[in-house]
Amino acid sequence: MTRVTLVVCATLLTVASVAVLAQRHVTNPKPEPYLKQLFPEAVAFSPLEGTPLHYKAYAVDPAKTPGAKPIGYAFWTTDVTPKEYGYHGPIFFIVGLNLQGRITGAILDFDTEPYGYFSIQPKKFGAQFVGKSVRDPFRVGEDVDAVSRASISVASATRAIRDGSRIMARQFLNPADVK
Amino acid sequence: MTWQPEADPWGFEAEPVETWADVVSAQAPDLAIMGAFFALALVSFHRKSVRLKYVTLVAAVLLLGVRSSFLLSIVNVFGVFQGELPVFRHNLAWYVFAGGTLLTTILFGRFYCGRVCAYGAFTQLMDTVLPAKWRIEIPHRIERRAVYIKFGVLAAVMGYLLITRDMSIYRYVEPFWMFGGFGTPIMWTGLALLLGVTVFVRNAYCRFLCPLGATLGLLSAVTVFPIKRWSECSTCRICQKTCEWGAIDEGRIIRTECVRCDDCERLYDDHAKCPHWRILDYQARGGRKVLPLRPVT
Repeated sequence: MTRVTLVVCATLLTVASVAVLAQRHVTNPKPEPYLKQLFPEAVAFSPLEGTPLHYKAYAVDPAKTPGAKPIGYAFWTTDVTPKEYGYHGPIFFIVGLNLQGRITGAILDFDTEPYGYFSIQPKKFGAQFVGKSVRDPFRVGEDVDAVSRASISVASATRAIRDGSRIMARQFLNPADVK
Repeated sequence: MTWQPEADPWGFEAEPVETWADVVSAQAPDLAIMGAFFALALVSFHRKSVRLKYVTLVAAVLLLGVRSSFLLSIVNVFGVFQGELPVFRHNLAWYVFAGGTLLTTILFGRFYCGRVCAYGAFTQLMDTVLPAKWRIEIPHRIERRAVYIKFGVLAAVMGYLLITRDMSIYRYVEPFWMFGGFGTPIMWTGLALLLGVTVFVRNAYCRFLCPLGATLGLLSAVTVFPIKRWSECSTCRICQKTCEWGAIDEGRIIRTECVRCDDCERLYDDHAKCPHWRILDYQARGGRKVLPLRPVT
């Protein structure tokens, strides 16, 4: 291997990595189809706002009925638990949570997990969280299906959905309503 | 009376783990296996033992491959540059694995390729089991050029990722998914083709195509403990003929290709085979001075 080849390869690597750094994935700006899926009975949704960032789902349009109470909350795991990385980077799940602290859905929008295609990308991964309470244990291998050889991705996605839901519950739900 | 914190109305079980003792004990089996594996790999390397090397290769296939599918990928190389790696406290065993790879590469060169990578271990075991007469030795002048293909693959994959940011490309340039067992017909066909070629050309993927090997090869430029060679090595070609990785050229070890398999080092120590010792023996009788051992540059 000559010095020239070394230099060329090193330069290519550097250029590629710098350019990649400059184009990270951002939160999907058009979440409406997902929100409809999470709360089919809702007629209106708030924009992404608040701390932590979330969408509110309404059964009546708050623009016409001032003071309408939300029927549930939706959030991106990447907003609520931003430090939760899988095998390769953040996993963008949008999660719906009703006022009883039960998950109405967990939909994967984007991930770069190498073994994602057979672990967290199949619909049945997100589907198993539907109806789960924030008080459930969310243990991989017990109440969440383990996927052999993709444990890092599955564990990370599960932690993100569990911890995200619990943070949201603490912030917005009444513990007395959550059985 | 001491102050008591207010009772938590939520009382979630399995809240994020608190102490490092909890973190470590939950991952203890994985950590122990990974630690034991690296210890075995380093002992087999240090002892230059052929038998222990094969034990290491079998362990790599079974533990790192079949059990946990821990293989470094071009995706990880990308992850390093992007700062997108698994959460440290939840993935200690993976960090022992990745950190061990980085450290051994800096210290010894492509140590990972030679005895840690489950795919490389698998093809090396194939090479041991299959009849030697099936093997096709690629002419040296072709081989010395073909090794550059993997740097082309590395540049191409990096370019592709840069433009599309589509990580799933790794499945078509790396066979490491095979231990996960999930593939599309195209992936399985590609794998069958690759393993078919490997039956005749030993470690074909590792030597000519692997972009991760190319990356580790570039890192090997800093090797702290390179293989030491005798001064006679500049003219003798025994090791070059023995090297199964085509890593010795014109008496020089090519660091980007050497996976520290120990074959040449075992030869250096062999008083019956290595010309160095033969000359020494000859000179002991004749009384002339012998040139000293020095690291190869």
